[in-house]
Amino acid sequence: MKAKTICRMLIGFTLLLVAGCQTVKPWDRDLLAQKQMSFNPAPMLQSIDEHIYFSKEASMGGASVGGGGCGCN
Amino acid sequence: MQLEKPKPPSALRDALHTAALALLLVPAATQAQTAPTTANTSDSPDRIDVTSLFYGEQGRTSIFEPVVRFTHLMQDGQSLSGQFGLDVITGASPTGELPSGQVQTRTSASGRTITSSAGTLPTAPFSDRRFAFDGDWKKPWGRVVTSTIGGHFSREKDYQSLGASGMIATDLEHRLLTITIGGGVNRDTVFPVGGTTAGLSSSAIISTASNQKSVANVLIGVSRVMSRRWMLAVNASESHENGYLTEPYKLVSVLNPTSGVPLTSLTEKRPSTRTRSSVMGSSVYHFTQDLLYSSYRYYWDTWGIRSHTLDLKYRHQFDDTTYLEPLLRFYTQSAANFYTGGLLQGNPLPDFASSDYRLGALNTITVGGTYGLRWNDFPGDWTVRAQLIRQSGNSSPPNAIGVQRRFDLSPPVNIYAVVVGYSFGY
Amino acid sequence: MRRLLLFTFLSLTLTLSASATGPAPDFTLPARSGTVSLHDLRGKVVYVDFWASWCGPCRQSFPWMSSMSEKYAKDGLVIVAVNLDKDVDAAGSFIQEYTPPFTIAFDPAGKTAEAFGVEAMPSSFIVSRTGKIMYAHQGFEQSKSKALEEKIKDALKP
Repeated sequence: MKAKTICRMLIGFTLLLVAGCQTVKPWDRDLLAQKQMSFNPAPMLQSIDEHIYFSKEASMGGASVGGGGCGCN
Repeated sequence: MQLEKPKPPSALRDALHTAALALLLVPAATQAQTAPTTANTSDSPDRIDVTSLFYGEQGRTSIFEPVVRFTHLMQDGQSLSGQFGLDVITGASPTGELPSGQVQTRTSASGRTITSSAGTLPTAPFSDRRFAFDGDWKKPWGRVVTSTIGGHFSREKDYQSLGASGMIATDLEHRLLTITIGGGVNRDTVFPVGGTTAGLSSSAIISTASNQKSVANVLIGVSRVMSRRWMLAVNASESHENGYLTEPYKLVSVLNPTSGVPLTSLTEKRPSTRTRSSVMGSSVYHFTQDLLYSSYRYYWDTWGIRSHTLDLKYRHQFDDTTYLEPLLRFYTQSAANFYTGGLLQGNPLPDFASSDYRLGALNTITVGGTYGLRWNDFPGDWTVRAQLIRQSGNSSPPNAIGVQRRFDLSPPVNIYAVVVGYSFGY
Repeated sequence: MRRLLLFTFLSLTLTLSASATGPAPDFTLPARSGTVSLHDLRGKVVYVDFWASWCGPCRQSFPWMSSMSEKYAKDGLVIVAVNLDKDVDAAGSFIQEYTPPFTIAFDPAGKTAEAFGVEAMPSSFIVSRTGKIMYAHQGFEQSKSKALEEKIKDALKP
């Protein structure tokens, strides 16, 4: 389908990330230092959710590698 | 391993210390937290995390899954984790067949009793127990590079999985940019109860040997601190599967081409390779106190499935340790190109066919929330996550034939999932 | 254009020398009582530490700095811990708990940290009796504190 378009958007987005201009000084990182300021603040809950969706939907992948086998019905 | 590591403080002392500190750090007058107490359990050299999943599908499967994880943090920043999980599964699962319009009971090749009442999708009861071990080792290399390697083993009645993964992350641009590269391999074995059947046959056993399935995946991720309050990330992953990818007990109905009445059932058959790709963008935004987590994933694979996933979580922080986090998730997928509601008698058999509803067009909506809290004078953090998941497919596909038009061919599946988690450091 | 390049080059070398062995940028900051100025401390060895209450390693460094202050004050060591919390209240409750026996200065805008070219939290600088940066250190690890103490001792040598 639109895989190409999405890939192009992704490349653009990645460039934006790499080139991002605003800098945050070390002493301004009070909020960033918080545990909840993370893409995955609760890894165990996250992996349970991934396991549920992996067994009930056809998709997988995203933010983590590896994964368990599951002959889930 | 360091032998002369200082003795860790006792849990009680730690708890008192934490409580005292929490009192001091949150002035009663302001109440609003200004910065996290770093003197929480994450400072302890050892941590235990326990979660229990209670999962139920209306009229189908129920699962109880306790998991316990031990983490040991070393002084130089290394950490070792070991995890053990158990799955207890009971219930019934749809076979893939279509309703016949009359009550049917028979025994499948795997020795399972298949029953169906008139007009509903046939299901087969099953029960299984699965256990899983996971371990990982995280090591910093200097101030900006961290590596993680992990191993996995799980086994259930008819499935075994053995896997290894590795990941390396590096911080660049004054720690504002992080690049992650990872990969993993899995060697799985499928040994269906009663033997392996030939694909698209009347459950003819062709082998009692086990079947191999191998998976290799790679991931690359870029994440960036955009401002004092905002982080963005993009991940791309690809996974190659090879070997026995068929669901051993799923069936496909063969229908009378005019009346739509099921005449017989054949085993399903899937291709022996599959390449799955996904790209995902995620954002975390910190408001004055609250946080918004959002992510979008686009997925595509060589079976013709495309999917979109949107995930939103809003975390309202009451104080340092108490929060409420409502969540919403939307998922939609297109059907695999060999997905079929049923085959027609008299037509030549296709190369591949499956009626597994998870390979059909499907939408999932999830509504839920997480509550996190800590009790005074009691060490550790508690979390409860409750979710309602509703899956719906195409109930009346336009190509349904004859009698099949009268039935709901994809009744919505309602699922509840509750996870209780507890973690503490010592 | 050439002037701009030259300026960039000069400011770059200046930044580099400031964090290596150049003269320490002077500051006058509010302290727990009154103010503290670096130039008033000429003749003393000044250990300038930049910290914040939300930073884990900073927390770990406080007991160590207390012991350094008690051990070497008589030899002419002065510890000035510059707090960079945006919210002075957060720093206040932290100080209440640790009751450090050394000087705490407050710089919520981070101007001093900028001038010193602070790259990590915590960061510390050993300033000689003549006002020169003799040593710069990033982070705090218990295992490296012994070596850091040696640097302080070196600076205190007459």
